[in-house]
Amino acid sequence: MKLLKKEFRLCLHPTAPLFLALSTMILIPNYPYAVSFFYVTLGVFFICLTGRENHDAAFTAALPVSRKQMVHGRVMLVCCLEIADLLAAALMLWVKGLIGYAPNQAGMDANVALLGEGLIVFGLFNLIFFPRWYQDITKVGVPFLLASAAVFVYVVAAMVATYAVPFVRDCLDTQDPAHMTEKLLFVACALAFYLCATWLCAALSVKRFERVDLQL
Amino acid sequence: MAANNAPLSVRGLTKKYPAFELRDVSFDLVPGAITGFIGRNGAGKTTTLNSLLGFIRPDGGEVKFGGLDMKTSAEEIKQKIGFVSAGMTYYTGKKLKTITGVTRLFYPNWDERAYQNYMRQFGLDESKTPASLSNGMKIKYALALALSHGAELMLLDEPTSGLDPMSREELIEIFLSLRDAGKTILFSTHITSDLDKCADRILFLQKGRLTADLPLEAFRKAYLLAEISGGLPENVKALSKGVCRVRDGYTALLPAADAEKAGLPCRAATLDEIMVHLDKEDAAQ
Repeated sequence: MKLLKKEFRLCLHPTAPLFLALSTMILIPNYPYAVSFFYVTLGVFFICLTGRENHDAAFTAALPVSRKQMVHGRVMLVCCLEIADLLAAALMLWVKGLIGYAPNQAGMDANVALLGEGLIVFGLFNLIFFPRWYQDITKVGVPFLLASAAVFVYVVAAMVATYAVPFVRDCLDTQDPAHMTEKLLFVACALAFYLCATWLCAALSVKRFERVDLQL
Repeated sequence: MAANNAPLSVRGLTKKYPAFELRDVSFDLVPGAITGFIGRNGAGKTTTLNSLLGFIRPDGGEVKFGGLDMKTSAEEIKQKIGFVSAGMTYYTGKKLKTITGVTRLFYPNWDERAYQNYMRQFGLDESKTPASLSNGMKIKYALALALSHGAELMLLDEPTSGLDPMSREELIEIFLSLRDAGKTILFSTHITSDLDKCADRILFLQKGRLTADLPLEAFRKAYLLAEISGGLPENVKALSKGVCRVRDGYTALLPAADAEKAGLPCRAATLDEIMVHLDKEDAAQ
């Protein structure tokens, strides 16, 4: 918890909480809503980039903490942002429900299943970005590029699936509360994926970060 | 005190890079003393310090702080040491108050009264950011943090680099007062004139090898400097431990025991002169 406090007070880039407000993009008609989750990952990129410029690793490594704790502190910060973004997205789904439902022509409708897509986006990003970044924390760009590429491939695939995959088209991409069981099941599976991917990301990151020389 | 319980005991430290190798570095720090860690830029001083702290992973060797092994007790050890690096500026846009607030979370022995005293003594304002501090003030802030968590051993990486003579003098006085208070200091620098004023012992690193580990006076007395006008006599060249070209001739560093054989008037050499001449010799070989 001490490291999480440190992350919030010293490492949180101002854009990261601001990007949470971009969940309001869910209110835009006919928009690929899964893209709104990408902005959170952009915030993570800025956190890691400014951390490098501020010698965050050197400061933290000099504190009485292990490298494993350093990794866990950063991953926890990111999980907090991701969960906050999903809560903000849930709020926007509720607001959109009040405004009036309209089918989305650019991917998943603004419904509960969209939160599942968000969990998959975040799980995928964490799994690719962090283990790669912890190999060399001075290089933020390439890990972000690789993780973003994977996220965009998924977002496009998910968009295509709303037209091409019958289960997605007929059950998930529908107005709430229709097919709520299927949607909640999808969210549960996505949550399981997110938890496993983030756990694996932390484990791999620790393993790699333990080995590297910190280029201070 | 047994070597194993020295504030810092290093045995056979090695680290290999494609273009540089730290080779079998071993030394013990004497408690309550200032040890100067000298060597030219690139000699391996920072690599050694970073290896001691676990920032970089050594290929071999053993590092013990007060008998505790860095590999197994790093967190316990870091409670008792303070690391200050001149080249590092953390969180340039954050207020000192915020950085301190975070730092104190990690130290159960944090002494707030001591911290406030040091801030006052060093003339530091908590509402400022590191970006608005001079290099000397940044070092003082890092020292205030380290001293407020009760660090017994201070590892200082080039703390006086880039400072004006007044600021350096001021820092040296602080280091001396810390030594008087029983703190042990390892002070890496290539500005050896600073060590002339405060060091008790010298560790001399050349191309990744530790070539001297002596009390300052013994290190100084081991050599004499001959100033030669005109050409360099062959016998002096053979006896010398390093020759430098100067405006009117040469200076040769001679082992004190061999100085008479040179048949030239000699004088005591400064730390700077010893380091420069020995390094010249090493480069020539």
